[in-house]
Amino acid sequence: MGIAMSSYIDYQSAKPVDPRVIEAMLPYFHERFGNPSSLHGEGDEATKVLEGCRRTISGFINAEPDEIIFTSGATESNNLALIGYASRNKAKGNHLIISEVEHISIHNIAKYLEKNGFVVSRLPVDQYGKVSLQKLASRITPETILISIGYASNEIGTIQPIAEIGRLARERGIAFHSDAVAAEGLIPLDVTRDTIDLLTFSSNDIYGPQGVGVLYVRKGMRLNPLIIGGGQERGVRSGTENIAGIVGMSTAVEIMGREMEGEVKRLAQYRDKLIKAILERIPKSHLNGHPIDRLANNAHFRFEAIEGESLLLSLKDAGVSAATGSACSSKTLEPSHTLISTGLLHEEAHGSLEFTFGRFNQEADVDKVIEVLPPIVERLRKLSPLYKEEVPA
Amino acid sequence: MKSTQYSEKVLDHFRNPRNVGTLEGDDVAWGEVGNPVCGDLMKMYIQVEDDTIADIKFQTFGCGSAIATSSMITEMAKGKTLDEALKITRQDVADELEGLPPIKMHCSNLAADALQEAIKNYRDQKKGKVPLPVIQKATGPVKELVGEKEFLGKGVYHSVDDFSPFQDKRVMVVDRGPKSLEIALELTKHTGRVIVVTPGKAFSSVDSDLAKGIKQSDIKIIYESEPLEVRGSDEVEKVLVHDLDEDEEYELFVDAIIILK
Repeated sequence: MGIAMSSYIDYQSAKPVDPRVIEAMLPYFHERFGNPSSLHGEGDEATKVLEGCRRTISGFINAEPDEIIFTSGATESNNLALIGYASRNKAKGNHLIISEVEHISIHNIAKYLEKNGFVVSRLPVDQYGKVSLQKLASRITPETILISIGYASNEIGTIQPIAEIGRLARERGIAFHSDAVAAEGLIPLDVTRDTIDLLTFSSNDIYGPQGVGVLYVRKGMRLNPLIIGGGQERGVRSGTENIAGIVGMSTAVEIMGREMEGEVKRLAQYRDKLIKAILERIPKSHLNGHPIDRLANNAHFRFEAIEGESLLLSLKDAGVSAATGSACSSKTLEPSHTLISTGLLHEEAHGSLEFTFGRFNQEADVDKVIEVLPPIVERLRKLSPLYKEEVPA
Repeated sequence: MKSTQYSEKVLDHFRNPRNVGTLEGDDVAWGEVGNPVCGDLMKMYIQVEDDTIADIKFQTFGCGSAIATSSMITEMAKGKTLDEALKITRQDVADELEGLPPIKMHCSNLAADALQEAIKNYRDQKKGKVPLPVIQKATGPVKELVGEKEFLGKGVYHSVDDFSPFQDKRVMVVDRGPKSLEIALELTKHTGRVIVVTPGKAFSSVDSDLAKGIKQSDIKIIYESEPLEVRGSDEVEKVLVHDLDEDEEYELFVDAIIILK
């Protein structure tokens, strides 16, 4: 079943590349193939294109062009930010602070740093998945060199108080990194307003191609490179530039800059309609994440007494693609660490269902979920030995 | 192989499960395996006539393969003698379903175990064996939690006069009789997240109105469990909970815990 047939409401997992982006990229595979490092016409043109893209992308987050480092994607950007910064600045201290609700890449990088002599504090969150500034302040020690808090949760959509965290970090002289992948295209990013020192964002999350990303590095920040070679990207990230991919990302940024405001309004309407209808129509259903400070495209539920993979299978039969934080659909057979951090029991996390809307959704997709989901939940509850026990005596 | 790449036969049993429900009567026994914590819980009911499984029903909470294997085994076991039915293995069920994804072979293929449990229970009943008492309530003096003193006033409460500190917080209430349950119910007016932990399979209170009120509320009840330890940096952040039934320990993120003295 293709996208045209089913209602794809899992944009958090993957987004299609916008056809306008593909069109802009095509010439750079064959006709305009130059290497920016070469000293000839083709090379000069590639340099011009690369620097143009750098300008466009820096404008999107209110940064300077020479603060943009191109990478292979968000995971690499996160690695470069945390490992590159910590290893370069270990003389200043060995302590980092992240939150419990970070993307899995941040959690695993933190574990790697711990094995290499660093100390990492994991900031707990409230029942909506939000970090507390007071708790953050209490975790800061004279050894703290870096705070890394994601702009918003890729799972439950909760938006963090980024500007306040940025101010606190700046006051204390601590570098602040934010993984903005979940928020990009949904919230206007501004590294100057939010005093962010390092910012991760990717191309595919704004409908550009996969395999391209950016790490914003504020002027004056020093990082050790993780990839060593010909000294591209000011020596911080070697390797011949992926010009076609970078053109794609830059085009995606231009489109997003023009369309974001209207798109966010539209997606928020879908989100609100879905949340209202599901909570009204399905008994013993709950919203995960923050009721107000949440991404415009995110509706995350949990249903008592049923399991998420069964929900996904049934939704697939009904032509709807969604996601779950249940252990049964994960590689590790562990439920989502984000849901557990908000205080849910494992059995509650198993019954979670996540919808993330995107550019190519239409109101009909929302209506379809509202129509098909209540009977699916009812059917699975009829099979469940847990639901009977929930019924009041 | 992705966890959701199931055979057509698995999908058929998932979509149209056979023999769903419960059974009652003198010739009925049931077996239960799994745990909602792991994401799978299965109950298998058998009705036995002349040492043969005359009827069989199931209820399952779990993923696609948990539901499909439950349904499959009911078809395989119906009409078999108890001895024949006991020989059905997890592998037999998986084979009959034209295979299961490797990751599901262990965790969500418990139907054979549930059937064996039901047969064992049936035979025990016939021998007149009385099932072991299930409620093993702590009768001795209530143990103090590790960290309880340290966090007193920092998220640990021994009494509640004022509900305002609990506004919008995650509050765990340890079942210490009717007063603690009344507090839990009152808390639901101040926060959306109230958890009651009780060592038994039912509440300590015999007051049925109170128990009913709690079951109708959004309070999350954790049966057969007890808190062991309060953890946090400078205030309560987590409670270590002991699941008495499974004898497992896990951390639960909360902001406050009420232990009436």
